[in-house]
Amino acid sequence: MDTSIAQNWLQFHSLSSFPLLTLLCAMPLGFALLALAIPDEQTSAHKAWSFVGSLVTLAVALVVLGGFDRNAVGLQQVDDYAWIPSFGARWTLGVDGLSLPLVMLTAFLMPIIFAGAWSAIDKRWKEFSIAMLILETGMLGSLLAVDLLSFYVFWEIMLVPMYLIVGIWGGKDRIYATVKFFIYTMFGSLLMLVAILWLYQKSGGSFALAQLAALNLSDKEQTWLFAAFALAFLIKVPVFPFHTWLPDAHTEAPTPGSVVLAGVMLKLGTYGLLRFAIPLFPSAMGTFSPLLMTLAVIGIIFGALMAYVQTDVKRLVAYSSVSHLGFVMLGIVIFNEESLQGAVLQGVNHGISTGALFLLVGYLYERRHTREISEFGGIAAKMPVYAAFFVFVTMSSIALPLTNGFVGEFLIFAGSFKEGVQAVIAPVAEAGRWRNTVLVGGGIASLGVVLGAVYMLSMVRRVFFGQITNPANKALHDLDWREKTIMAILACFILWIGVYPSSWLNLSKTTVHAMVLAHRPAILQVRAPLDYKHEAIQHEHADR
Amino acid sequence: MLMLPELIIVATGFILLVLDLFLTEKQRDLLVPLALAGIAAALGALWLTPDHGVLLGGRFAMDPLAWWFKLTFLIAAFVTVMLTSGLLESAAPEPRKLHSPGEFLTILLFNLTGMLLLASTRDLITLYVALELATIPLFLLAAWRRDALGGEAGLKYMVIGALASALMLYGFGVLYGVTGTMRLDAMPALLHADRTTLYAAALIVAGVGFKLTLVPFHMWAPEVYQGAPPPVTAWLSVASKAAGLSVLMLVLFRVFRPFLHDVSFAIAVLATVTMTIGNLVAIVQRNILRFMAFSAISQAGYLLLGFLAGGSVGAAAMVFYLLVYAVTNLSVFAVIILHNQQTGSTELTDYRGLSQLNPLLALALMFGLFGLGGIPPLAGFVGKFLLFSVAAQAGYHWLVGVAAVNSTVSLYYYLRLVRQMYIEAPAEGAVPLKPGWMLSAGLAVTTAASMLLGVVPTVYESVRASAAAWLQSLGQ
Repeated sequence: MDTSIAQNWLQFHSLSSFPLLTLLCAMPLGFALLALAIPDEQTSAHKAWSFVGSLVTLAVALVVLGGFDRNAVGLQQVDDYAWIPSFGARWTLGVDGLSLPLVMLTAFLMPIIFAGAWSAIDKRWKEFSIAMLILETGMLGSLLAVDLLSFYVFWEIMLVPMYLIVGIWGGKDRIYATVKFFIYTMFGSLLMLVAILWLYQKSGGSFALAQLAALNLSDKEQTWLFAAFALAFLIKVPVFPFHTWLPDAHTEAPTPGSVVLAGVMLKLGTYGLLRFAIPLFPSAMGTFSPLLMTLAVIGIIFGALMAYVQTDVKRLVAYSSVSHLGFVMLGIVIFNEESLQGAVLQGVNHGISTGALFLLVGYLYERRHTREISEFGGIAAKMPVYAAFFVFVTMSSIALPLTNGFVGEFLIFAGSFKEGVQAVIAPVAEAGRWRNTVLVGGGIASLGVVLGAVYMLSMVRRVFFGQITNPANKALHDLDWREKTIMAILACFILWIGVYPSSWLNLSKTTVHAMVLAHRPAILQVRAPLDYKHEAIQHEHADR
Repeated sequence: MLMLPELIIVATGFILLVLDLFLTEKQRDLLVPLALAGIAAALGALWLTPDHGVLLGGRFAMDPLAWWFKLTFLIAAFVTVMLTSGLLESAAPEPRKLHSPGEFLTILLFNLTGMLLLASTRDLITLYVALELATIPLFLLAAWRRDALGGEAGLKYMVIGALASALMLYGFGVLYGVTGTMRLDAMPALLHADRTTLYAAALIVAGVGFKLTLVPFHMWAPEVYQGAPPPVTAWLSVASKAAGLSVLMLVLFRVFRPFLHDVSFAIAVLATVTMTIGNLVAIVQRNILRFMAFSAISQAGYLLLGFLAGGSVGAAAMVFYLLVYAVTNLSVFAVIILHNQQTGSTELTDYRGLSQLNPLLALALMFGLFGLGGIPPLAGFVGKFLLFSVAAQAGYHWLVGVAAVNSTVSLYYYLRLVRQMYIEAPAEGAVPLKPGWMLSAGLAVTTAASMLLGVVPTVYESVRASAAAWLQSLGQ
């Protein structure tokens, strides 16, 4: 039973008779092409059109969700067509418990982003809506593609619209930020391309993930290829020390750009690790585990400390992303069921919470044209609804129970302590160093939760409470109905996941179970060989 | 029948030349449609031409890959004439106007004939004559505007071109001396893997290197690209490069194929140096024509990767990339020609705000640049990907890495232009460009092609099939 689950997780479970996933990918692109026909001056038409386009895409995504079988192992609703036959390139899209939460997040965030952009974007709406819609196609495609070449195509498609979004509608230093973003990401992904080509030659002419994952690679090959893949994804996440593009890009990007960057694009890095890097090179993952663990923990603490010293609210939120994504990385590195469930869910949580924070910061910026914390103070008196939403989202960001953030971080820590604590309660003879590393790393990482509360709450205090000292803040007006609606929807999701997470966890449960069965042995074998034997014996006992 | 496309082009050239004598300045506007009709007829004839067969005792032969080269030449010529039409017409604004349209078109067509013949030659003499016909008219075209820059361009091009011809002729001489035959197909059996063979190969590669702008034989390119009229630069960067590649494929695959494996490291080094220098120097260029010159140099570096694996995969990758490069580069040049025609400027910074003045032109130029940079799903990506995979197949993984890093660098400078167009505000008092319908049509067709070639696999599939058939016809 177990072996068949493990073997099947990258195989096709069900082919789709109707190319629904292709339609999902193509939908935003189609709306973008039609938007070309609307004249530039018709700003409101563009606003409405792009909003409708993202809503229709969401509807298609809901159909995909409706047809999704939570208990099935493997890729579902697969579209599999030949693309360049003589080259072995195929057009293969599929969805499983790993990608579906993120697909839903993307489809759900886009209408919010467009609605939020109505006031944030004040010029060249046509170009904006086209760029955003193409970006959505790129993101959805990257999440759905399971053929490495088509994945790479979508992965790169995301770059150009993002470059333009930051470059055209961004802040003062937008050019520096956007070029830095582009070069960093491009460099990483081109090295990945080299690795893809290596695999392609090795396999004798295939880009299909399942076939490539079945290749027999030497340890040296695994190490190098994993490094090339992981670099592309780690830059995207971003993991310390590859994070330096992020504060610049996030801060300079216009509000919708920051939301989409934080909400979805960063998650594509962690998704890529889980979908491609680890299944392709599991034992290299074992080799790199201690390093990745260290980087994740450094990212958590470093991001939190950097966030604490920022004077610009948006930069603060940007650094908080570095810290939060560190938790997700931690969950991935531990690689047991709890931690992976937590990592997948925390990806969604971060998208919602940080997206909401960026939107809120954007609202304030539209009113005052500054984001310096020292410019504010006591504005809760003038903007009570705004303050209430902000404090609520902050609670979710610092992982208070009953908010979504708590569930995700709890699962990650539960996973990491399960991994580590066994070293204490059930010591294996000559237990490997790995469990101690996990114990220490998890302990340090939990400090990050405290630091998260420190920087967020101190910012909230300085911005919202006390007396109004700056006369410019006296004229501030509270949120209008559009802004309230957006926030209310996001708040509902925060509560929903916080109170009843099962509806989301169930989506990814089966897939995560299969992933752990499939790849954990290979990973453990390298990073903790003695534990591996121990765990294998336990399994045998359980089977009997 | 086999030579019909060439004959039609020659005939069109002579008709234009004679007709030019009897027409008034105003009536000469008819010459452009006439030239286009001739090229279109040749394209039609090419469609009907069988893709194998020999003429003139085996000196002239069609093979499946020659067919693709001829297609590339003819398409490039057709588009170039379309793009030039605005500068050739009698109402074109001075001082950018190209005078004597009849002679200009005739020379262009003769030049085209040389290239068409080049793809089909099978012995040294025909090869050399065709190559000269594909080269000498370019000196004239480059110096068409008799100003200081144009004169410098023409002279420099001629002197260096003569040097290249001399090197190549010397190489041919050595080949003949060793083998005692003029026929390319008979040579592999008579050659041995010794220094003389390598020496001849090196001389010929150096000679072709000038045409292909391989570093270190690229010195002429920036000046000539800048000094020649922009449409000539477009023609030069596409057709002349294609001609260079066809000679190189002829020589390396037909004559030196048994030794290709031994020199693959040298080819790898040449490719590395070419793409790296081209990309690095392009970063600091301010003039768009010089910028395109270095971009074209780096593209030649990528092209060379196809020689690393001797089989049909490499040949197919090169021919496909050449086709993609031709349409993409022409779409970029369409905007450059128009911009230069109406503003007189060739500075990168003068493209600022183009996206607000001419949204569609800016979009097309952006697609073109990203195609050259190799961003999916544009055809440039697929082409580059195929070339990279050839290098990977040959075991040159380090070279794939170098090429990948080079692509990142190239994106940096292509983005510089995108930034000017999309992010900077337009200059005060800047007016939108008004493209003529012929230029617009050329731009639309090339842009569409540069996108579709990447998504629709049919063309690559047939290039691949042709390459396989061609390899069989080599009989090795």
